[in-house]
Amino acid sequence: MPRPEQNFISFEIDGREVRAPEGMSLVDAAKNGDVEIPVFCYEPKLGQAVGACRMCLVEIEGSPQLEIACKTPVEDGMVVVTTSDSVKQAQNAIVEFLLINHPLDCPVCDKGGECPLQDITFGWGPGRSRFIEPKRHFEKPLELSPLIAIDRERCILCYRCVRFSGEVAEDYQLVFLERADSTYVGTHQGHPYVAPFSGNIIDLCPVGALTSNAYRFRARPWDVENGGSVCTLCPSQCNVTFTVRDDAKVLRVFARDNAKVDDGWLCDRGRFGFQAVHAPERITRPMLREGGALHEVSWERALSEAAGGLERAGAGTAALVGGETTNEEGFLLQRLMREGLGSPHLDSRPGGALDPEQARALGRPELAAMVPDIDYADAVVVVDTDLQDESPILDLRVRKAIRRFAVKVVLVGGRPGALDPPADAIVRTTPDGGEAALGALAAALAEVEPVSVPPSDRRVPRDPAQTPTGGLDERQHGEPERQGESAGRERVDDLARRAGTSAEAVRNAAAALRAAGPTVVLWGERLSDGPRGRQGVAALLALARALEIPETEGSGLIEIPSGTNARGLREAGCLPGLGPGLLDAPQAGRPAAEIAAGLGEDLSALVLLNADPLRTHPDRAGWKRALEATTFVVAFADFESETVAEHADVVFPAESYAEREGTVTHADGRLQRVRQSIAHPGEVRPVWSVLAELGARLGAPADPPFLTSPMVTRAITEAVPFLAGLTLEELSGKGKRWQERDAAEAAPEAPSLPQADELEEPPEPVAPSNGDLRLGTTRSLWAGRETEHAPILRFLAPHQRVELSPQDGRALGVESGDEVEVSRNGSSVRGIAALRDALPPRSVYLIEGTAQDSATELLDGESTTVTVRRVEAE
Amino acid sequence: MTPDPGAAETMSDISSNALSDDVIAVQRGPTPTRSKAVYRAFGATLRSLRTTLARTLEKPTTIQYPEQKTPVYPRFRGRHKLHRFEESGLEKCVGCSLCVAACPAECIRVVAAENTPEHQVSAGERYAAVYEINMSRCIFCGYCELACPFDAITMGNDYELSDYTRSDLIFTKEMLLAEPIERTPLRREGE
Ligand code: SF4
Ligand code: SF4
Ligand code: SF4
Ligand code: SF4
Ligand code: FES
Repeated sequence: MPRPEQNFISFEIDGREVRAPEGMSLVDAAKNGDVEIPVFCYEPKLGQAVGACRMCLVEIEGSPQLEIACKTPVEDGMVVVTTSDSVKQAQNAIVEFLLINHPLDCPVCDKGGECPLQDITFGWGPGRSRFIEPKRHFEKPLELSPLIAIDRERCILCYRCVRFSGEVAEDYQLVFLERADSTYVGTHQGHPYVAPFSGNIIDLCPVGALTSNAYRFRARPWDVENGGSVCTLCPSQCNVTFTVRDDAKVLRVFARDNAKVDDGWLCDRGRFGFQAVHAPERITRPMLREGGALHEVSWERALSEAAGGLERAGAGTAALVGGETTNEEGFLLQRLMREGLGSPHLDSRPGGALDPEQARALGRPELAAMVPDIDYADAVVVVDTDLQDESPILDLRVRKAIRRFAVKVVLVGGRPGALDPPADAIVRTTPDGGEAALGALAAALAEVEPVSVPPSDRRVPRDPAQTPTGGLDERQHGEPERQGESAGRERVDDLARRAGTSAEAVRNAAAALRAAGPTVVLWGERLSDGPRGRQGVAALLALARALEIPETEGSGLIEIPSGTNARGLREAGCLPGLGPGLLDAPQAGRPAAEIAAGLGEDLSALVLLNADPLRTHPDRAGWKRALEATTFVVAFADFESETVAEHADVVFPAESYAEREGTVTHADGRLQRVRQSIAHPGEVRPVWSVLAELGARLGAPADPPFLTSPMVTRAITEAVPFLAGLTLEELSGKGKRWQERDAAEAAPEAPSLPQADELEEPPEPVAPSNGDLRLGTTRSLWAGRETEHAPILRFLAPHQRVELSPQDGRALGVESGDEVEVSRNGSSVRGIAALRDALPPRSVYLIEGTAQDSATELLDGESTTVTVRRVEAE
Repeated sequence: MTPDPGAAETMSDISSNALSDDVIAVQRGPTPTRSKAVYRAFGATLRSLRTTLARTLEKPTTIQYPEQKTPVYPRFRGRHKLHRFEESGLEKCVGCSLCVAACPAECIRVVAAENTPEHQVSAGERYAAVYEINMSRCIFCGYCELACPFDAITMGNDYELSDYTRSDLIFTKEMLLAEPIERTPLRREGE
C-alpha cells in the first residue's frame, strides 16, 4: 500500500477550531484540541474500530442521534460537542450499565490504580449506582493459560482481546462464548491460550479481567517505578518498560510503543523472560577454576588471573561474541583483542564467515529497509527464516501488512512456517536450497516471458538528496537488461531444480514480485551460513538488484540474524576481517569454525563474551574437542551452562539486560539505548568496565580511560565513520537509524551488486542415499536460556522435535508423537516425531539450541543427510 | 571621657520639656511606707502559703508516668492495629496497598501475595505477605484508616512507641495484628 498522504482539515470541537489529518478517528483528532473522549474498545493498534462499548458517544451537528467517535472519521467543517447534557447523560448511562455486573473488587484486582474503568467511572460516570440487585457471578480466579489469569466477572466485553487473537496474532484461539450477560471470553474447549504473543492481551484489556500471572499481586502502580529500555532477547529489539520495585527487582515488562520497531507488541518471551534476571541459579560473583572446580573469588583475583592467562596466550587468543552483547562491549572486546593481545581472531557469527565486501554491500544505506517499510511495501519476500520463531514481532508486522495493506508475501525456504497460510507465493526448497532459489528468482524476474506483467509504476526512485548513493551508482538505473530468452528460461528451470523446487513456483513468485512496487526482503542469517554462505549472499544481492531495491524508495533488505545485536556487533568490529565501521581490519582473523579447529593447535586461549558455543554453534562435537584442548577459557556468563561449568577457567558474571547500559543496533540500522533499570545483584559489575579494565591491563589502555559507558559509546562514534557525531541524546526515546543521519554518507563503499547471470552455479542438491533425509534446522522461540531460567516460562521449554513429511514418516514407520533417533557420523539426537503435511519429502527439520538433543550436535557447516530411526519403546 | 556638654543640655531639655507626646509615663503606685512594705512582703508569702497548705489536702494532679498513664479519648490516634474477622480468624487486610497510596509520610510498605486453599490468610484472593509501618516516620494522621476499604487497619490509642533503635520502630504485620504490649487506658465516659 502506498504511504498514505496526510491531508489536513479543520473541524470544530467544543467550540474550538482544531486541525487534524483527514480521515483520522474523531477520538484521536479530538486530542489535537485537548479534548479527551473516553474509550474502552477503541485501540488503533488493533485496526478498524468496532464500536463495541459505546463509551465514546458524542454529538455531531447534523446528526439526529449521538455518534460513536471512535468509528467516525473527521471531516472538514465537522462540528462536534462532547460536553452537552445529552452526551453527559449517555456517558453516565454507559458507565452505569458497565458497572451493573462489574464486581468492583478493585482492592483485590491487579488493575487497580491503572484501570481505565476506574478512571472513566471517576471522570465520566454518574458517581452513584442505583443497582441493588445481585450481580452476575463466574468462578474465579481461573487460569487462561499458565501465563495469564482471567476473571470473567470483570470483563466488559470490549472485544479487544478477541480481536487481538483473531486479527493481529491470527492465532484464532480466543472467542466469546455464550450469549448476552452470560458472555465470557474463553478458548475452544477450554484449551489454555498458549501462543507466542498471548501476553499482549494483558496490556490491551481495559479492566482487570486479564492479568499477568507473573505480576499477580506483586505491586501497585505507586509501589513501583517504570524504566524504559530495549529487550535484547531476540533480534526484534522491542522497546520495553521494566516495572521495578525497590530499585532491585523487575516485576513486569510491558511494551513501550515504538511504531518504527514493534508497533507496541511484545512476544511472550520478552514479556515473561525477565524472570531469569532474578533466577537464584544466576552467576553473580566472579569464579575461578581451582583444582578442577569453579570457586567464587574476589574481583581482583579473577581480573588478575584473567589478565595473566590472556597475556600468556597473547596473539594465540580467540574470542566469540554472543548476540546479546552491546555495541560498547563488542567494541571494547575487539579493541582488547586487536590492540591489546594482537589477535585478530574474533567472531560474532556462529554459522560462518561473512565476506567483507558483502558485509559492506549489505551495510549500504540504499539496501536497508526500515521496519515501517513493510507496511507500505507492495511485496515482502521472506527468505530462509520463520519470523515467528526468529524475530516474532516482524511476523506480526508482516501479518498486519497483509491484512490491512494487502501487501503480497512471497516465502522462500524449506520449512513450512507460520506465515504459510496468508502467503501469496511459496517457493519450497530443500534445506540448503536458498541460494539456488534466490538465483532462480532473480533470473526469473529478468525473464520477459512467460511473465508479461510490466514492472510496477510504483517504483519511485529514491530521493537522491536523502539517500546517499555510494559505490552503487555506476549501475544503470531504469530498465533491467533482458537476457537471451530461452537461455534465461533454461537457467530458471535448472536453478529451480537445484533448489529442489519447481520452476512454476519460482515463476509464480516472480510474477507477484514483478508487479510490485517497493519490496522488502527479510532474509535469515542461515542463508549466509556454511561454506556456501558467500554464494548465498551473492544470490540475495542479485535478487536485490533484480528487484531494483537500491533505486526504489521504500525497498530494502532486513536481515533476521541469529543474535540480537548482530548488525551492531558487525559495525562495531566484531567480525574476523572487519574492524569498526565495516573497514578492513589490519589483519584478517578466523571465523568461529576455524577458531574451533585452531584451538589446541596455535590458539590456546578463548574469551567467551556472552557466547555459548556448545549450545549455539554448529558442530557441537568439534567445539567440545576444541574447548577441551584450550588451555585457558575466560567466560562472561549469566548461567552455568555446560560450556561454563566444564570448560571455563575464569568466569565473570554477565549483566542481565535489565542491568546493562549501552546501545544496540536493530537489523534495520536503528541504534537504540539499553538502559539500566535495576541495581546489579550480588557482585556483578558492568561488563564494559571489566573489558575496559582488562584492556588497560593488557596493553590497550584508553586515553582518557573509559570511566563510563557513554565514554565507550563516544569512542565508537569516533571509530565508526558513519556514526560520527552521534550522541546518546539523539537515541533517547525511540532510537535513531544511522542511515537517516548526515554521517551516513561515510558508509563504506561496496562493489556493485552482482547480476543474476553472474552468479556461481549452485551445487546439485545433496542426494540422500538409502532412506536418509536432508537435514535442515530451525530455531524455536522457546529454545533459550530465558525459557529455562524464568520459572513461569519453564513449561514452554521445547524438547527436540523431529519434523518429517508424512511420506517419509510412512516409509520409516514413524508416526507423530513417536520417539525417533536422528544420527549422522556417530552423533545422534533423540526427539519426538512430528509429521507435517506441508513439509517437502526427503527433508527433516530439527531445532537448534534446545537444552538437550540440540540439532547443533549433527551440524558441521556442510549440507548433510541424516538417518532417522524410530526408537522402540522398551 | 569628658562629659559632652551638648548631651547634658539635651537631657535637661527633655526634663524641662516635661513629657513629650511619644513618651508614656510609667504609672507607679505611691511610694510604700515602711510598714506597708513589711506587710507586702509577708502578706504575699502568707497568701502563697495558704494556697500551698490548701493543696496539701488535694490529690496530686501530676501523673506518675510510667507507673501511671494518661487516659486518652477514644478517637485519639495512636499506634495502628490490624484486624481479623472474629468468626473465621482470617485477616481483614487484603494487601491492596490503598493505605500506602494514602499515606503522606510514605511509611507503609505492603507486599501482597495470593491466597491458596491450603494457605488462606485473608478473605479475598490476595493478602498482605508483608505489612510494615515505619512508626518513626508516621505522623499519625489516620489517612491509612480512612483509605482502607475493609476496616483492616485502624488507629489504636497506644502512644508508647519509643524504642532503642530505629529499626525496632518498623512494626511488622505480626506486631500490628497482636495486642500492643503497653496498653494505654481509655478515658472513661464523663472523665
Ligand atoms: S477492573 Fe478496574 S474497576 Fe474493576 S475491579 Fe479491577 S480495578 Fe476495579
Ligand atoms: S477480557 Fe478484557 S479485553 Fe477481553 S473483552 Fe473482556 S474486558 Fe475486553
Ligand atoms: S497515620 Fe498517616 S502517616 Fe501514619 S501510617 Fe497512617 S497514613 Fe501514614
Ligand atoms: S490495610 Fe486496608 S488499605 Fe491497607 S493494604 Fe490492607 S486492606 Fe488495603
Ligand atoms: S470506544 Fe467507541 S465504541 Fe468503544
